[in-house]
Amino acid sequence: MEYLLETDNITKIYGKITAVDHVNLHLEKGEIYGLIGRNGAGKTTLLKMLAGLAKPTEGSYSIFGEPEKQTAKLRDRIGVLIEGPGLYPNMTAYENMKIKSLILGMNDDNFIKELLADVGLERNIDKLKVKQYSLGMKQRLGIAMTLIGHPDLLLLDEPINGLDPQGIVEIRELIARLSKERNITILVSSHILEELSKIATRYGILHNGQLIDEFTHGELLRRCRERIEIRPSDATKAVTVIEGMGITEYKVLDKSVIQIFERLEDSGEIVLELAKNNIKTLSIAVKNEALEDYYLSITGGAGKKE
Amino acid sequence: MYNLIKMNLYRMSKAVSTKVIAIVWIFLTLFNFGVMKIVVDDPFNIMSEADKATLATSSVASDLIQSLFVSSNFLIILSVFVVLFANAEHKCGFDKNLIGITNHKWKHALARWISAVIGMTVLMVVSSLIYLGTCALFLNAFELGSLATLAKVCGIVYMGMVTFSAIFFFFTTLFKSSAGGLVPSLIISLGILFMIEKLLDFLFNKVFGSTDYVPSDFLFDSKFLNFDMDAGRNAIIFLGVLCLVYTVLTVGGSMLLQQRRDVK
Repeated sequence: MEYLLETDNITKIYGKITAVDHVNLHLEKGEIYGLIGRNGAGKTTLLKMLAGLAKPTEGSYSIFGEPEKQTAKLRDRIGVLIEGPGLYPNMTAYENMKIKSLILGMNDDNFIKELLADVGLERNIDKLKVKQYSLGMKQRLGIAMTLIGHPDLLLLDEPINGLDPQGIVEIRELIARLSKERNITILVSSHILEELSKIATRYGILHNGQLIDEFTHGELLRRCRERIEIRPSDATKAVTVIEGMGITEYKVLDKSVIQIFERLEDSGEIVLELAKNNIKTLSIAVKNEALEDYYLSITGGAGKKE
Repeated sequence: MYNLIKMNLYRMSKAVSTKVIAIVWIFLTLFNFGVMKIVVDDPFNIMSEADKATLATSSVASDLIQSLFVSSNFLIILSVFVVLFANAEHKCGFDKNLIGITNHKWKHALARWISAVIGMTVLMVVSSLIYLGTCALFLNAFELGSLATLAKVCGIVYMGMVTFSAIFFFFTTLFKSSAGGLVPSLIISLGILFMIEKLLDFLFNKVFGSTDYVPSDFLFDSKFLNFDMDAGRNAIIFLGVLCLVYTVLTVGGSMLLQQRRDVK
């Protein structure tokens, strides 16, 4: 499969610190890819490398099917918002937009007004200084800046960071709308899985610089949904028994734990059936995980220091 | 490159710092004229003949241009202008919107410096016209003098200022901060470096005995700030080569730093 963006063991080392460690990330056209990780997990460094702001120490990446060294002419198809919107505070939204449009050789001013209207910033665009904007307005302006040049790919680093709940909803809806209406592929990072889960179609979990998991939205829902989690004495035999009971929605983890996603009220019957087949049930529980709990479980818990 | 320069000039025209610096410099230009008027024309009859002899200042156009620009005042203004302009993009994080657009990051540094030089040129031309204009109109002792000499002095002064701008730009790129750029730039502008260089010359002569060679002959600021505008062709060529070497080294160094460094 050809990906719109793909990394091949991309690594970034600062002195003795490995910020990004052999990451292999895959992004398909039209996706909203949620890159999740704690503060310091390496999200920003990874996005900076993809945005051409930092050079990988090892490994490489390709964008639009072209290897890193041949992406120079394709760079204007990528919109970047890294570590908050970089804006001139003493200039207006219009002037900030104009600066970026000039570098891309775009002299028509109408599209600036259109883009600002698109992100809900049509008022006082040439009067109000950016320093008078709220954080949410600055984030929206930052996203409008990324849209100059009609990009096919957006790299958004923590766009909801520091926003109030209303601001988070606005940015989330804006990202979803951009993906849908403009068919833009979006790689968005955050440390809040709950928020990303409302818009992303695919996820990557970055932890201590390593991409420890990549999964689709459907898979995330499946992983977090209510289930019977059973630890039998013989998992292979238990699977045969479970299938014999007509259960098809199940998953075997670590060759010892079976997660069953249907007939949740029949846990007693399952234990009985296993016992009939001389399989001991070492433990059984009905579980469901909140997204954040799931995220913490795969990254080693909230208390663990990086 | 054209788009980069256009973009930089646009942001220069919109920056508050550019406007403040331009106003301050025009004010200082008019202040210089006021001082010249008092010293040369003595309109209030406040100076004795002895004072006049001590303060006697040339009112020939070429000397006026030299005294206006080859001064701590203009060098301080120039250093502040270059440092603030060169660092503004990085300071507010705007560079992250732009640098990745091209793989040739060095172009951003070159375009920024060229734009700073264009801004400096406009500032110099406007203030020269204001200074010479007010002097021609209101300074009784004003003399236009030889146009060839005026052109020569303007050329040498401009060449020197381009080199100073490159040096200030380099320090700003090297330290990636306004303070980091301003400290060495002000050390040069205020003549502190010049004094250190003179001390080095003294030590050099003490160690190696009196020779025709002195290190400060090859140090741009020392050479330029002491340059005799009446010097011959060879001295001007030597100064020109020195300007070129320092400009190429510092601008090239800035481009290299921009290309190799990650944007943080």
